[in-house]
Formats: sequence, C-alpha cells, structure tokens
Amino acid sequence: MWNSRTDYLYVAPAIFVMLIVIGYPIYYTIELSFFNTPASLSLADKTFNGLDNYVTILTSPIFWKVTWQTVVWTTLSTFFAFVLGLGAALALNREFAGRGFLRGLLLIPWVVSAVAASYVWKWLYHSDFGVIGALMVQFGLTDHPINFIDNTTTSLYALIVVNVWKEFSFAMIMLMAGLQTVPDSLLRAAQVDGASAWQRFWHVTFPHLAGVSTVTVLLLAVQNFNSFIIPWVMTSGGPAGSSDIWITHIYQIAFGRQRWGVGAAYAVILFIVMMVLGYFYVRALTKGDESRAGA
Amino acid sequence: MQTRTGRRMLGLSVAALTAATMLTTATSAAYAQSVDLSKWSPEYVKSIAGTKQFDAAKDCGAVVPNDYTGRVSYWYTGPFEADPQIAHDMDKAFWDAFHAAYPNITTDVQSITYNELLDKFRTALLGNAAPMVIRLQILGGVEFAAKGYLQPLKPEDVGYTAADFWPGALKSVTYEGTSYGLPTNNETMALIWNAKVFKDAGLDPENPPKTWDDVVAYSKQIHEKLGIPGYGLVAKQNAGNTPFRFMPMMWAYGGGALDEASADPSYKTVEINNAGSKAALQAAYQMYAVDKSAPTSALTNTQGENQAPFIAGKLGMMIAHPAEYAKMTDLASKATGADKAVADDVVANMRYGLLPTGPDGKRAVVFGGSNIHVVKPEFVEGGKSDEQAVKALICFWDSPEWSTKLAWVGSNPGNINGFMTDAMKQRLETIKFLDVTTSMLPNGIPFPVIPEAPEIMNIIVPDMMQNALTGAMTVDQAADDAAKKVEAIVAGGGGI
Repeated sequence: MWNSRTDYLYVAPAIFVMLIVIGYPIYYTIELSFFNTPASLSLADKTFNGLDNYVTILTSPIFWKVTWQTVVWTTLSTFFAFVLGLGAALALNREFAGRGFLRGLLLIPWVVSAVAASYVWKWLYHSDFGVIGALMVQFGLTDHPINFIDNTTTSLYALIVVNVWKEFSFAMIMLMAGLQTVPDSLLRAAQVDGASAWQRFWHVTFPHLAGVSTVTVLLLAVQNFNSFIIPWVMTSGGPAGSSDIWITHIYQIAFGRQRWGVGAAYAVILFIVMMVLGYFYVRALTKGDESRAGA
Repeated sequence: MQTRTGRRMLGLSVAALTAATMLTTATSAAYAQSVDLSKWSPEYVKSIAGTKQFDAAKDCGAVVPNDYTGRVSYWYTGPFEADPQIAHDMDKAFWDAFHAAYPNITTDVQSITYNELLDKFRTALLGNAAPMVIRLQILGGVEFAAKGYLQPLKPEDVGYTAADFWPGALKSVTYEGTSYGLPTNNETMALIWNAKVFKDAGLDPENPPKTWDDVVAYSKQIHEKLGIPGYGLVAKQNAGNTPFRFMPMMWAYGGGALDEASADPSYKTVEINNAGSKAALQAAYQMYAVDKSAPTSALTNTQGENQAPFIAGKLGMMIAHPAEYAKMTDLASKATGADKAVADDVVANMRYGLLPTGPDGKRAVVFGGSNIHVVKPEFVEGGKSDEQAVKALICFWDSPEWSTKLAWVGSNPGNINGFMTDAMKQRLETIKFLDVTTSMLPNGIPFPVIPEAPEIMNIIVPDMMQNALTGAMTVDQAADDAAKKVEAIVAGGGGI
C-alpha cells in the first residue's frame, strides 16, 4: 500500500501540470460552448444558452459543406501520403548507390517549416505569375496559366497536393522502420519458392507492416484533421469557402469573428472526432502488448 | 475635524480643478481652429507646413505639472526591425523628450507587433494585467469600449479640443455617444499608377481615371493592349486588406455596409445590398470575371502580392498607402541585373492621385490610423492606474510636434495642428506624394464603430466579393446574402 502511495506521489507533479495545461483548457472550452459570447460583451458577462451553439452549427449548411471538404481533405491527404510514403520506403529499403542522399532529400519536405513551404507553393501555384503555370505555357501544354488556387473547383485539391508533398516523408520514415522488422529469411524463402515480387510484398512484407501502417494512417489522419497552416496561409479557406476545413473554420469563427461560444462548440465537436481516432490509435499501439500479455 | 479637513480638501480640489480647466481651455484655445479643413488641398497642406512652433513640454506641463511624480505603463506597436531607421530614431527621440519633460514619471513600455497586440491585450484584460494606456489600430478600441474595459477619454481631458482632430477620427473613438480615446495618427490611401503602362496602353499617362467606371474602362484597355492586369483588385477572404480597398468603391457608388458613410450614422441600417453597393460589386465583377483585367490571383492576394507585379511593370494601377512609394523605392534598390532597370523605370513612372469618385462625384476612402486609450484601473496590472501620468503621456504623444514625428513614415499626425509644424514641412520635402495622400484625409470614412465591425468588414465583405467574383452567386445574390448576415449580426445573432 505504501509503495503504491509513493508511486502516486512520484507522478503527482506531472499529473498536476497536465491538469493545468491540458485539463483546464479542455474543461473551459466545453464550458464556453454552452454560452453566448456576443462581440459587445466581455467573456465575464457571457450568457448561458444551453445547446444553442451546437444547434447553430449542426443545422448550418455551411457546416456540412465544410465537413465534406474536411473529409475529402483528410481522406485524400492520408491515402496519398501513405501510398507515396510506402512506395518511397520500399524503394529506399533496397541497397543502391546514393541511397543515403536520396533518403535525406526525401526528408526535406517534412523538415521544412510549414509556413515557409506554404508561401513557396503559393507562389509556385500563383495564378498570374506562378512557376508551374509559366512552365505549362512554355511547354505548350496550356495557353494561359492554370488557375489552381483562385478557383473554387480546384483549390482544395491543389492544397491536398501540397499537404501530401509535406507529409509523405513522415509515412516513409515510419514504414522504413517497419520494414526493418520483415525477416530476410522469409523473403528469401518466398523467393526460392518462386514467389513474384508482388507476391513477396503482398504475402510477406505487407502483413509485417500492418501494425505500423495502422498507426501511421491514424497519425496522418489526426494530423490532417488538425492541419491548419497550409490551408490558412495559402487560401485562408477561400475562394468562397471552397478550401475551408473544420480547423480553419473554427479559427475564423473564434478569432476572426470573436464568437468564442460557437467556436468552442465547434472545437468540442472536433475534439470528439479526435478522441474517437485517438481511441483507435491507442488500441492499435497496445494491440501487441495485449497479445503478448495474453500469451 | 474630519469634516473640516474634508471641506478643505474639497475646496482645494475645486480650486485645482478650476485652475486646470482654465489652463486646459487656454491651451486648447491656442490650437483650436488653427487649421482650416474647408481649404484642404495639396497646396494648402504645403502652405501651412512649418508655419507654427509648438512646445510639447510646456503645453503638456499646463495639463500635468512637469514635476509630477508617478508611473505609467503603455503598450503600442512601435518600430520593428523592418521599419526604416527614421522610425526608430523618432521613437527614441520621443521617449528621451518625454523623460526630459517629466523626469519623475517612470515608464513601463512594451512594443508589440501589430498582429499580436489585440490578442495579447484581450488576454491581459481577462487576467487584470493590462497596461494603463494602449494604442490600438483605428477600430481596435471599440470592442473594448463596448465590453466596458476602457475609461471615457475626450480631447479636453488632456488639453486639446475636438477641433484639433479630424471629425472622422473622433467618430472612430466614439461608442454610443461617449468618447473612449484620442486619435494619434491618421492616414488614407490613394490611387497609384504606372505612367509608362498608361502611355503604352494609349491612356493619358499623367491623368488617372476620374471615376470608378473609368477605372473599369482603363483596366480593360490596359489588359487588352498589353496583356497585363490593369487594376490590382484585392479580394482575399479573411483579410483586412480587402475591405480597405473595396469599401471606398462601395461608398463612392453610394453604398456601404451599414450607414457608416452618412453624416450621422446610426449603424443600424443595412446598406450592403442597396443599389450603390451592388453597382460597386458589379464593377469589381466586371473587371475580374468579365473583362479579366484584374489579377486572377486577386482571390488569394493581399496588397503585398500586388507589389511584386507592380515593381515589375506588370500591373497598371492599385490602391495603396502613402508609404508605398518608399516601399517601391526599397524594392528597386534591391533589384539586380535587368530587373533593376525595370524597377527603376517603374519608380520613375510611379504617380499618385486621388481615389476615383462614384458616378455622382462622391469620393471616399477608409479612414485609417491609430487611437490611444486608457484602461479602467480594475483591469490594470496591480489594480491601480496613475491618472496624471496617463494624461501626461497622452498629451505628449498627441502634441502637434510628436504626433507628427511619430507618424513620420507611414501616416500623418492625429492632431491636425501637426500639419503646421516644421516636422511636417520636412516630411513633405522628403516623402514624395505625401501632399496627395494627405489631401485624401477629408474624404476619410471610418468603418462602423461597433464591436461587430471586424466581422462585417473582414469576413462578410470579402465573402460577398468572393461569392460574386467566383460565380458561386450572382452579384445580387451575393449582396443579398451578405445583407442577411449583417442584419443577423446587428440584431445580436448570426449563424456560422
């Protein structure tokens, strides 16, 4: 018993700090989500309005439009970052000259500041003077520079390309680590048995990557749900809201429009989604532990 | 005994108050009506510059004695690394002069970037850790006045009169009939054009478009003849740049978000979908979507993104700050090779003119600048404010001399007597086109002085433009949609 109490004492400072820096903001956000906070009142004078903020959000067509865009953004970004990362990891898992250099090169997008990268891509895409548009015109592919980010149809997808470029290296690193766990003996045995490259990948390599793939996909999905910098810097959610996703919409409502109550309610909805993803993430992480404990 | 002491204190207070009022009146009277706003023109601005001497230490000493002992805390956006050296020099000179005039007042000063100041101030107020005095962008104060954080403050409190400031600027510090601050500096934008581009496009290089309809026509002609954007339209979502450049157009056509352009605005009438507002939106639509004579990137552009094409000679005209000439000169000085020749050529061909008028001859521009405010003691760090030290600082900052020097680079004195100082004369001699940009000041209209103004101007107006320019809605639909949103906000509600 005493030993147990001492254990609690050891972790108490950390728990205390976490309660203050994590627990209180969560509590306050949830509390604020039940209040009306008009621009003319200070937060101290906020008025309780029950579930009105949630009703306002969930009954707004804009919310559902932004939700769909968030789903598209998260799904496509996660899928393509994972697939590209997997391809790069498999390629770099082989021995060849310049492998180290190439690995370093592919890591650059992940290392570069997201703000700086967003500005660079904004200028690459620039609808009047962008490098991509100029090259396409120069090579005779189009008559005029293509309008990537000033167009309601293409803006979200243009941002997804930037996002995938920025984070596929993360998937690559995770999967490269996973590839180290694939036993060479199994691959060799499969080769001796006449398995093709695809069969070796699908029946030997990929099953060994299942755990790390699940974790990678979940981490990418969480990161993408919360991805703020690229859409905000490049388009601020525009044009006409076509690249708004939850997190940029929340920011705009809370900080652009000073609607703290509605912004908090929106953040709580996002928090619930993140908690669900977090649950699966933790479950994926602890799956191996449980099976080992069971054994 | 206590009663007698009390009476004596009361008597002394009344005497002191009377003396102070007399001094204040005397000081104010010396400044009032010295500048005739009805004569305002580039020539008039030049003619009054350097015609009067002011002594801030002496004048403010009549408001708060120069030997007063106290302390004042102050937050503002001072010069940062990117600012020209003269801004740093003037800032330092101000604090040296203030400490020389008030050697016994200690100052606790924080210079905070423009983007951080509002959020930091909001946070500080919630924790009762705000400064005694703060200088905010022109409409930054209304939110805090509405929420009850600011002390009423009128010109007479610090030795000035209403006649010492622009009426539009005073409007920007008045919330529900009470004044909550004083203007420290004011500026308005102007139309900038590239005379060479005009000439090459077959336009008169020395005469800018007179009306906004002319702007549409000129922009089209430039685009058709030279294949470059004619007018640097800015329509980015969630960006203050957008309303600063679109509202002048809207007002000129007889529109507005609310009734802010009227002489006595109530801020209750929604005008964002009236005929004038729709005409302005139609003009923007014509340039962007029909003629394609505005940059395609206008939907993601702020004014910053217009600078590069302008200095490269790839943009005909745009609305910009007085400091734009200095910026272009700076960009030209950094250019190299063939770019250098082009940039120098653009600078040599840069012209400033008044903003165009609407069809009825109405000219308007957003009244920009900053205001100084006093925080209520209960929200100040330590729960106390030193009223006299606060007044001394505000009087000094807003004196004709310092109000001019502190606005040296990108603005103009909030105290209009500053236009008569030697400093103003020097500015006019050294800053090209300053006479033109200052002559727009009488046309200045502040954004609605209501706490909801940032949402209306920075969110709803750009959204309306984007909805129309992208074709997501027709011009009428976009204006009506914006009107519904503004109505909901003014009524105290509003969706997401």
